Amino acid sequence: MNLKTSLFLAFHSIKRGNKGTLFMTILIMTLAYVNLVFVSSIFGGIVQAINNEAINNQYSNIVITPAVNNIYIKKNHAEQRLSSLPGVQAVATHYVNQAIIKYDKNRDGNDIQKGRWTIKSINPKQEEKVTDIYKSMVAGSYLKATDRNQIILGRDISGAYGSDLEYLSLGVKVGDQVDVYFSNGVKRTYTVKGIFKTKNTQVNQSAFITKGEMESVLRVYNRSSEILVKTKNISSEGMVIREIRRSGFKTEDIKKWSALMGFTSGASKSFDMISIILGAIGTIVAGITIFIIIFVSVVNKRKQIGILKAIGMREGTIVAYFVIQALFYGLVGVLLGISLILFVVRPLFISNPLDFPVGWVSLKITFNIIKISNISLLSAALIGGFFPAYKGAKRSILNSIWG
Amino acid sequence: MSLIKISNLSKTYQSNGLSTPVLHQVSFEINEQEFVTIMGPSGSGKTTLMHILGFLERQSTGDYKFKGKNVENFDDNYLAKLRNEEVGFVFQAFNLLPRTTVLDNVKLPLLYSKKKNHDLLARKALESVGLGSRLNYYTNQISGGEKQRVAIARALVTNPAVIFADEPTGNLDSKSGNTVLYLLQQLNKQGRTIILVTHEAETANHAKRIIKIKDGAIISDQAVHKRVFATANTELIK
Ligand SMILES: Nc1ncnc2c1ncn2[C@@H]1O[C@H](COP(=O)(O)OP(=O)(O)O)[C@@H](O)[C@H]1O
Ligand SMILES: [Mg+2]
Repeated sequence: MNLKTSLFLAFHSIKRGNKGTLFMTILIMTLAYVNLVFVSSIFGGIVQAINNEAINNQYSNIVITPAVNNIYIKKNHAEQRLSSLPGVQAVATHYVNQAIIKYDKNRDGNDIQKGRWTIKSINPKQEEKVTDIYKSMVAGSYLKATDRNQIILGRDISGAYGSDLEYLSLGVKVGDQVDVYFSNGVKRTYTVKGIFKTKNTQVNQSAFITKGEMESVLRVYNRSSEILVKTKNISSEGMVIREIRRSGFKTEDIKKWSALMGFTSGASKSFDMISIILGAIGTIVAGITIFIIIFVSVVNKRKQIGILKAIGMREGTIVAYFVIQALFYGLVGVLLGISLILFVVRPLFISNPLDFPVGWVSLKITFNIIKISNISLLSAALIGGFFPAYKGAKRSILNSIWG
Repeated sequence: MSLIKISNLSKTYQSNGLSTPVLHQVSFEINEQEFVTIMGPSGSGKTTLMHILGFLERQSTGDYKFKGKNVENFDDNYLAKLRNEEVGFVFQAFNLLPRTTVLDNVKLPLLYSKKKNHDLLARKALESVGLGSRLNYYTNQISGGEKQRVAIARALVTNPAVIFADEPTGNLDSKSGNTVLYLLQQLNKQGRTIILVTHEAETANHAKRIIKIKDGAIISDQAVHKRVFATANTELIK
């Protein structure tokens, strides 16, 4: 094989060949590549959106819940102790209660709407440092630390604001009064101060009151049902968990957000499967395209191949001559595809993320996706180009030249 | 010195269970600097013989020694190397690459050789066949006679030991054909071995020796007594 000769012939052939065919081939390769990267990245983006919603509105990074058989985490000054640990950004403590919320629109005992939901207590200022609930108010306003007879509701409790569970909701508006029956039998009446809407259904089905109010309902102090710990960065979660354990939380249940996301890790596996299947189909289509292009080229150049062999070119050189063309198409497809993805598609998605029910979805383009896509497309070109080239080069010289 | 020596060489084509015997027990020897015509009627096996001698095909049985070495022992890649370095072909149908310039066609065999100065060698070869002014023409922009001269330039650019010409004048008018024969005689005068295949007696007589074959067997092998010398065409003398 003589690579220099193959290169010369390949580029001579590309230069002298039909420009329309060249354009179409490169277009197909480019689109195949964009498709490969896009499919994987959009699924990655969906999973990331779901994760972001869970981190930002529900779990933050680490969730501490009571030890087995305990109702509360019994640690005095838990917030201060946890906040001072290395790697910890902020801490929020919650009381959690399953309560029945009733709404009697006309206050006449008729047409009462009710349901059982999770009510959590928050320290509003603390909570702002850990979750984005305060940013998610769609009506009314967020809680203040001193609020006592106020409640804020997720949109799936209140209804409206695009609620997915309209028929189960109360149909209340800001300013309406609701009766809350806590699990310990205490009943309180609250004014709806605000309604929030996140992209996390579980959060949208919960309500918040202040910590002071909850402690007066439950008659406990300095306890919590769950503690959310926000870390400075996601990679230090494991380290922070070890620090929490060491600081005295020996028997409590401590989990990362990801361990609590059973649904998305399942979805994530399915998405991976789908992107592998779609990617494989895209790669095969690209390979077949190359195969056809090179096959036609070999058939058209049958006589030329014969002449080249007659003047002393080896079969390997001729195979390389066509394979280089195939790789050239693949490589240009990769380069144009990467440019298109990085300079057009990605900026477009960053400035206009897709509004999915699970969150704002952008493309999650990773180095790994790029690497796998490059390898896939170039392998498709290599294999698609090799077979017709090999077959063409193997034909006998006289057969090629004369018939 | 002996360049080509074949003994009892036979060729039988096999296709679809049908075997076609084409050459029967052919033996001869060709020395360096000879100008030999292989002559015979159409279908007598001349082209087949030339293809075997030029390493484009292998014989079925018998011996072929090139420069004293048995060709049967060479693998396909080595035969490719021999075709590139030791022989040049001129075909009746020219067989130039389309959409390629005259100069690039002649440079083609050099791509594969270790020789330097491809451009210069190709230009010299083209000047020697009188085509110094057609270097950048595409092969579809020149006449048949010119095409055949490009083919001759391509055949001699690697400085091969032998040039095979299979009915090189077959597709040409007599004036262009005469030019081609003149060039072959000039090349032979310069010391190159020429093997010309033709069915025309007039063309055959331009050589120094004629091997006549009929139905795949040699019927005579004689020196030419009244050799014809092609005259230089005016367009070549510039
Ligand atoms: N590839 C082939 N398969 C079968 N028969 C062939 C093949 N090539 C040539 N022949 C036969 O061999 C005979 C000699 O052909 P060829 O060598 O071309 O003769 P010439 O050049 O003298 O006209 C012809 O009868 C031809 O049909
Ligand atoms: Mg013939």
